[in-house]
Amino acid sequence: MSFEEMVLWVEKYRPMVLDDIVNQKDVVERLKQFVKSRNIPHLLFVGPPGTGKTTAALCLVHELYGESWRQHTLELNASDERGIQTIRERVKDYARTVSMGEVPFKVIILDECDAMTADAQWSLRRIMEMFWRTTRFALIANYGSKIIEPIQSRCAIFRFSPLSKDDVAGRVRYIAEKEGVKLTDDGLEAIWNVSGGDLRRAINALQAAAALGGVVDEKTVYKVIGRATPKEVREMVEKALSGKFMEAREALYRLIMEYGLSGPDIVRQVHTEVFNLKIPEEAKAEIANMVGEIDHRLVEGANEDIQLSALLAQLVKYGQLLRQKSAA
Amino acid sequence: MSATYVGAPWVDKYRPKKISDIIGNQEAVQQFVSWLKAWKPGAKPALLHGPPGVGKTVTVEVAAQELGYELIALNASDVRSADAIKRTLGPASHYGTIFGQRGRLIFLDEVDGISTAEDRGGLTAVLELIREARTPIALAANDPWDPKLRPLREACLMIRFNKVRVTQLVPFLRKICEAEGVKADERALRIIADLAEGDVRSAINDLQAVAGGRKVLKPEDVEWLRARNRQYGAFDVLKMLFMARTAKEAKEVINSSLIDYETLLQWVHENLPLQYTDPEELAKAYDALSLADVYLGRAKRKQRWELLRYFFDLMTAGVALARKGKYHFVKYQFPKKILMMSRTKKARELREEAIRIIASKCHLSRRAAKTEILPFLSIMLPTPMGQGIAKWLGLSDDMVKILVHEG
Repeated sequence: MSFEEMVLWVEKYRPMVLDDIVNQKDVVERLKQFVKSRNIPHLLFVGPPGTGKTTAALCLVHELYGESWRQHTLELNASDERGIQTIRERVKDYARTVSMGEVPFKVIILDECDAMTADAQWSLRRIMEMFWRTTRFALIANYGSKIIEPIQSRCAIFRFSPLSKDDVAGRVRYIAEKEGVKLTDDGLEAIWNVSGGDLRRAINALQAAAALGGVVDEKTVYKVIGRATPKEVREMVEKALSGKFMEAREALYRLIMEYGLSGPDIVRQVHTEVFNLKIPEEAKAEIANMVGEIDHRLVEGANEDIQLSALLAQLVKYGQLLRQKSAA
Repeated sequence: MSATYVGAPWVDKYRPKKISDIIGNQEAVQQFVSWLKAWKPGAKPALLHGPPGVGKTVTVEVAAQELGYELIALNASDVRSADAIKRTLGPASHYGTIFGQRGRLIFLDEVDGISTAEDRGGLTAVLELIREARTPIALAANDPWDPKLRPLREACLMIRFNKVRVTQLVPFLRKICEAEGVKADERALRIIADLAEGDVRSAINDLQAVAGGRKVLKPEDVEWLRARNRQYGAFDVLKMLFMARTAKEAKEVINSSLIDYETLLQWVHENLPLQYTDPEELAKAYDALSLADVYLGRAKRKQRWELLRYFFDLMTAGVALARKGKYHFVKYQFPKKILMMSRTKKARELREEAIRIIASKCHLSRRAAKTEILPFLSIMLPTPMGQGIAKWLGLSDDMVKILVHEG
């Protein structure tokens, strides 16, 4: 392998044409019809992560516009933009100029639409109508149910199905061959297991394991996954349960400031950790309830380190109760 | 990253070990040493007084050590009712000398902190102790002019400690920087020394806060200390808040404070676990504080400022009434979050920039780049393959360093 021109394999092996997309046959066939007719309606791509939604949108504009696709495409991510006003401004600026060439419109790919509030989606609906003549929207979301009805009814909806084990394993094996990586059967099995059906995660796991050098087998895959899952969250929870509040809070500050995790990220990791902890089963549901309350508050916009500290304080209390119980 | 707090607090690391290590107040130090050397039964105890952080306690400690005394100390955080004082110090003061040792030195720190209400009979017990003592007794106080201490003043030899001068502080700070491998700009040290207002302890703490883990210290690195100093009133406000016995008393804190309420929230947040060490109290207080925060958020987001009243209620009364026992004095701290934020600022900015680059290269949101790419990328980066990827992404060496640290 030459490391000089190394790139992330998720990008290197991202399909450029619709036909190369793994599975999603129905979706691909219909999209190809649109390309042929040189006209598309607004689109809504719905499906789990890593199933090819963004790739399909990129392939579509690539096939519509050829190499100059970037001049006709605006990529936006709803979770990165500061509110619907900035989205409106960017769309307005972009839609002002008419598209040159044989396709009379531009495409705006708006990813993670389900991160938008209902209010923002209503505004989006108006924007879609306002610029109908010059632009088409390709909206992307994990959950269709989080998209308001009026938008759904204005879009051609494409559902991306979860990838099968054969789909994921086939693609991973293909990349391994191309890159000259020795991948064992149990290594491939492990990659499928940790991917959760997300092809992006599977390819990242393969590349990180390959980067360590040597054969990619079950052991290296789990080693990579272990390192890619921050232990800090679990350590923070364990410190709290053993009564060390100050240390737990310091760990929390580090997660926020050094690791750059957001409050909801941490809360959700705490949630998965709760079920791995060695504590009485009945306590787990109670803690899950607390975690859920904090999650809700954070989504509402509460201060993350105060809310999470409150959660840690509850864990400290639980830890003590549990110790007293087991001592009795 | 190197900004992480490592090792012992510098105040401990650079605490004087010998009398000659003490900076400033040479006259007072000598006066104390002579007093201790000359002490014989019937002589007066010594009362060291002066502002915090100028070396009163450390003078007693190192003098005792150097002159071969066993030090028996009580300070403000110990229980100091008459009983407690008699129980712990009584025997020590009566049967002073053990064979082979010069004797014992009894030290009562922060005597002005003995509250007449809570440590019932505490001062009377101290006076009694002084009268009957057959060992030297040293006392220390910030404010000896408190009327309740008058009988003590009359019974003691007064030794005054002054604020340590900037010209004495700066060379000392420079020595610490040299020992820590920090190249410090003279002006930066001067700012720290100025802001410390003669308090050596706080100067060292500030120095560690701004210089710990750095190689170079520039004046702009210490600027935020100025903003902090304006918040000093927070200590008194916290004390009022945590001492409150009724909801009404607690709520008054809001009106008596010049600190803005969001800053106060940070201070309460920081100091809750210091004040409440009992898990149940802590959980209850944090429950109230987190609800206060929810109301604050609603008030701000919806511009419904009338909701602030509930925020105030919960932050003050809710927090204060979580206390089960009686109030205990604790040393309050400056909010660590603000401190860490300033120390990790540059690293965080680099990190965010790296994430922005990855997000745009991989057609992802920044959030997804952080959770889906970064964990794997940070494993690849230290490998030869990773070097190529970093180049392809266009990450700077500094960015790579920060991302690798997390792997």
